[in-house]
Amino acid sequence: MAKILVVADIKQGVLKGSTAELLSKAKALGAETAVVAIGSNIESLVPELVSAGSDTQYIADDAGLELFSAGPFATCVVEAANQFDADLVWFGFSESGKAAAPRVAARMDIACATEIIDVNLDNGIEITRPAIANKVLQKVKVNTDKLVAVVRAGAFEADESVSGSENVVKLPAPEADLKAVIKELLSDASGEIDLADADIVVSIGRGAKDQAGVDLVKGLASDLGAGFGSSRAMVDGGFMAHNKQVGQTGKIVAPTLYMAFGISGAIQHLAGMNGSKVILAVNKDPEAPIFNVADYGIVGDLFEVVPVLREEIKKVRG
Amino acid sequence: MKILTTVKKVVDVELNIHVESGAIVEDGLQYVINAWDENAVEAAVVLKENNGAETTLVSLGGGDMTDIIRKCYAMGIDNGIHVDDPALEKADSSVYAKVLQKVYETGEYDLIITGKQAQDTDSGQTGIMLAEYLSIPCVSNVIEIQVVDDGNIKVSRLGDAGTEIVEVALPAVVTVSDSINEPRLPAMRGIMMAKKKKIETTDLAGLGTSYDEVGGNALKSEVVEFMKSETRQAGQKFEGDAAELAVKVVDLLANEAKVL
Ligand SMILES: Cc1cc2nc3c(=O)[nH]c(=O)nc-3n(C[C@H](O)[C@H](O)[C@H](O)COP(=O)(O)OP(=O)(O)OC[C@H]3O[C@@H](n4cnc5c(N)ncnc54)[C@H](O)[C@@H]3O)c2cc1C
Repeated sequence: MAKILVVADIKQGVLKGSTAELLSKAKALGAETAVVAIGSNIESLVPELVSAGSDTQYIADDAGLELFSAGPFATCVVEAANQFDADLVWFGFSESGKAAAPRVAARMDIACATEIIDVNLDNGIEITRPAIANKVLQKVKVNTDKLVAVVRAGAFEADESVSGSENVVKLPAPEADLKAVIKELLSDASGEIDLADADIVVSIGRGAKDQAGVDLVKGLASDLGAGFGSSRAMVDGGFMAHNKQVGQTGKIVAPTLYMAFGISGAIQHLAGMNGSKVILAVNKDPEAPIFNVADYGIVGDLFEVVPVLREEIKKVRG
Repeated sequence: MKILTTVKKVVDVELNIHVESGAIVEDGLQYVINAWDENAVEAAVVLKENNGAETTLVSLGGGDMTDIIRKCYAMGIDNGIHVDDPALEKADSSVYAKVLQKVYETGEYDLIITGKQAQDTDSGQTGIMLAEYLSIPCVSNVIEIQVVDDGNIKVSRLGDAGTEIVEVALPAVVTVSDSINEPRLPAMRGIMMAKKKKIETTDLAGLGTSYDEVGGNALKSEVVEFMKSETRQAGQKFEGDAAELAVKVVDLLANEAKVL
């Protein structure tokens, strides 16, 4: 039986959905599961880690782990992987995961794969992942006995019926990295809906033009209780925070409904949202590439379309 | 300060890519400098302009790299090294990192700047692994680099909870996001001067190593098959009166797609 260690995705003290998704997939593969949770004041997360589907919980809880530092984070993961004798170490799709996974692989001298969307354990380890800005998929054969991987957002689904058992193992606090010291964290605005969790994402592009355009579409997003995202153009323009960028350099989202307003549909943007279930695009240009991936498209001016959309949506949602 | 940047030649992602019998169809492909490496080159040149630095780029892989190396010269890079070894055509991130380790060891660099990932593999591993092999610090996904003094830099990194400000002791590896800068378009004068500059070409033996030593004969992973990605079909596109269309589409979202 394979042993799969999932690295808990904890953001500002909250356990993110990817942890349950990865553990569900591990269980579906018939694996023995463990989770490693790294941070400060996180022991209260144990019940959630258990119900997410882990059979062993490795906990590295130390004040020194409050702010993310890739070196010590990787040390904790390697420690847990060794104690558990994990065959697969999985990270959820996060900046911490992307930073730590190659370190863990280098230290354990095993293969590393990022953005995996599927795994097959029938004959050694084989994974599937997109490449070239999502234009192709590649099947990768792993030649080492073990693999460290970052799982692409939305690849696996959480299975509500899965559960685990409590077996907590405390890990020693890792040494701090004295050569790369985090001095400060300029926290993202709290209280906003995390794009990765949102069931509906409403996004704006350069077509929203100015603050009035941003506010207009933001109104629609709040009516819907949706995540409010954007293309890089609006981040570069200073209208939106970096953590709102959807695409290869930003967040990868796969909501039930993605609404794109004034976004052309550059390949780097599509790579972050074309796994959405349903896509609506509003764009003035009938030739905009976003229409090639949209289930519903309105060729028109967003300044005219959005107010009517808001009214109509209020009607149908009551 | 001595800065090393890495530059990879990758398939142009803006063009159509076809897959046939498990492989990418070479016909019609074009190769360009990896966009994130262009950000790395720009970051190196900016540090040189503001703080004084000697900038060197290294490109790994077989084939002709003259065009991309000259482009980087025209942007302001001082020296170019091409590790021209056909064996590297088949390499994983770990192999690349080990070759870069050899390059680093021949040059005593203070700072290595790489793109956060390459557009052909989208793996994002090489720079981070290089730092591990060298046992030096690494900060990834960086959007700002400031020089503190001869031995230290301060970088901003986009992390999960916000922007992390990290003070890093040199030597170090930094991998950059495209949000760090807008790569310059080389001026004509730079382009003309770049044509005259020489490119140092070497291979694995020239770096005092072999394909075997860098792990090339025991690849940790290899791509066995390419497949088409599941492309979405264009759906219904409506033109006409904005208000009417909005009404219609809300109805479709609610009653056909059932997502509202
Ligand atoms: C290495 C790299 C990484 C990148 N990563 C990302 C990424 O993560 N995310 C990302 O988004 N981009 C990314 N980009 C940038 C990407 O290539 C595009 O430049 C960007 O997505 C364009 O943003 P946009 O669609 O908002 O702007 P534009 O391409 O300028 O499109 C604006 C659109 O708005 C429409 N429009 C204008 N006015 C109106 C109106 N009144 N009503 C309706 N429509 C209107 C126009 O017809 C046009 O289609 C990356 C680029 C590179 C090179």
